[in-house]
Amino acid sequence: MNLRFVLTFAWYYGFKVIKRGPSYVVASLTTPLTLLFVVYILTSGALVKYAVVGGMITLVASIGLQSAGDATFLRLQLRLQDLYVASRVSPTDYMLALTLSFLAFSVPGILVYITLGIAYHLYNILDSLIMLLLILLLILSTSAISFIISSMVKHVRNVWGIVSVLSIIMTVIPPTFYPYTDIMSRNGGNILIYLMSLSPATPAAIIAQFAFGLQPIVYSTLYTMVGILLVETIVYLTIARYLTRWREN
Amino acid sequence: MININKLRKVYSDHNVALKDISAEMSSKITTIIGRNGAGKTTLLRILSTQLMPTSGKATIFDLDVVHDAREVRKRIVSIPQEASPMGILTPFEQVSMYLIGRGFSRNDARKAALDALDAVGLHDARNNPADTLSGGMKRKCFVAMALAANSDVVFLDEPTTGLDPISRLEVWSAIKKLAGNVVLTTHYMEEAETLSKEVFLVESGEIIDRGTVKSLLKEFGDKVRVESYKKMDNAFRVGTIYIKYVPKEQAPEFLSEGDNIRKISLDDLFIMRGVAIES
Repeated sequence: MNLRFVLTFAWYYGFKVIKRGPSYVVASLTTPLTLLFVVYILTSGALVKYAVVGGMITLVASIGLQSAGDATFLRLQLRLQDLYVASRVSPTDYMLALTLSFLAFSVPGILVYITLGIAYHLYNILDSLIMLLLILLLILSTSAISFIISSMVKHVRNVWGIVSVLSIIMTVIPPTFYPYTDIMSRNGGNILIYLMSLSPATPAAIIAQFAFGLQPIVYSTLYTMVGILLVETIVYLTIARYLTRWREN
Repeated sequence: MININKLRKVYSDHNVALKDISAEMSSKITTIIGRNGAGKTTLLRILSTQLMPTSGKATIFDLDVVHDAREVRKRIVSIPQEASPMGILTPFEQVSMYLIGRGFSRNDARKAALDALDAVGLHDARNNPADTLSGGMKRKCFVAMALAANSDVVFLDEPTTGLDPISRLEVWSAIKKLAGNVVLTTHYMEEAETLSKEVFLVESGEIIDRGTVKSLLKEFGDKVRVESYKKMDNAFRVGTIYIKYVPKEQAPEFLSEGDNIRKISLDDLFIMRGVAIES
């Protein structure tokens, strides 16, 4: 792996872009902060801790998914991918470089949520480590989904619509802003939660609800969700690796 | 340097882009010339390992572009048609990032990027976001990548399309500074004549002629091109223009008001081969 390239790319296309185009960061924070406000008002603050924890998951997952737009734009419009195909950069290097750039986009938002988490006395060191791990798995899995989408899209214009829909379905509908038990307690709730688990945000949110003490730990559910998150991250990454049109046919 | 043997490309929509072409390219600068859709970009993309051929074989320094792609990629640079720099990054950042991707150390990339940007005349603009650069400067940013990479073979797909005459001259000057062998595509005959000795004429997926500019134009002898909007007997018709090739001393006989006499160029090869003629 060309780690130097991965880090350089992430530095230039991640951190430098935050400095030069902060509107992107603000835009990515808009939905989770708006939902946090709505949850606060509707529940008179009762579920606000869910919205703080879930907001961070939504933020990272939606940035990962929205990266499909960037990946498609770089491939089809700027022809950047073609430039790197004819070099020593491998498809894995390129995917990791873009993924790390998107993680860099998330950093200012993550800082906002860390501040909120501290304000609501949500974090201790162990929780923070669990959250860090969840963020890494989320950005890997959602970026992989975005690569799968971007390699199938033939026109840049199509990707924006797909990404907007997916971003809502995969980050807001899962139990990110409400207790996961609200789904499980309904008829067919078990099936629904597994369907929702196609989005990595679902297992991540349930694990986070256990980790931050928002829900009493049910070990069978915890292990299942950890397993689902790990397996789907590997599966999405593998599919992305083989679907990415590095050399076209 | 480059050997192409019965290379064929059929796209999924059944469009046959290359029809079993064979060629050898060994000049310092080789130009592949042809109209839009002739197959130039397809050929270049296969040679630069970006696209799989349907059949046939191509090698660069005896390395197969399909089976030895990883080794080929270490020795080539390919600048895609209509490539555009990332608008928010500066030329220096784009060039050094590309070089690091090619295995340069951070310090070597920095030095090579600065030297190359200086060589293509982008020194003053090196720290400006690419969004603020002109079209010519953006193209020169990519030529700087090729220059700094110092690879054995450089593929440039229509490097000057859409540029103004001054920018075009600047890019030509930068291309001449490239260390490795250059293969470029263009539909500007003047570009082929200025930059290269070896020219391949491509039309409808086939190489219809090849040679040095001088040898290709030899068949015209001392003739000139007479163009007229009025019908001329035994003339080629391109759109509404009639074209006839006549010895230089006879040209005045064909001239009437509004007609032109032009020096022979590579354009005329396409007209003579019938590819530019419209009924």
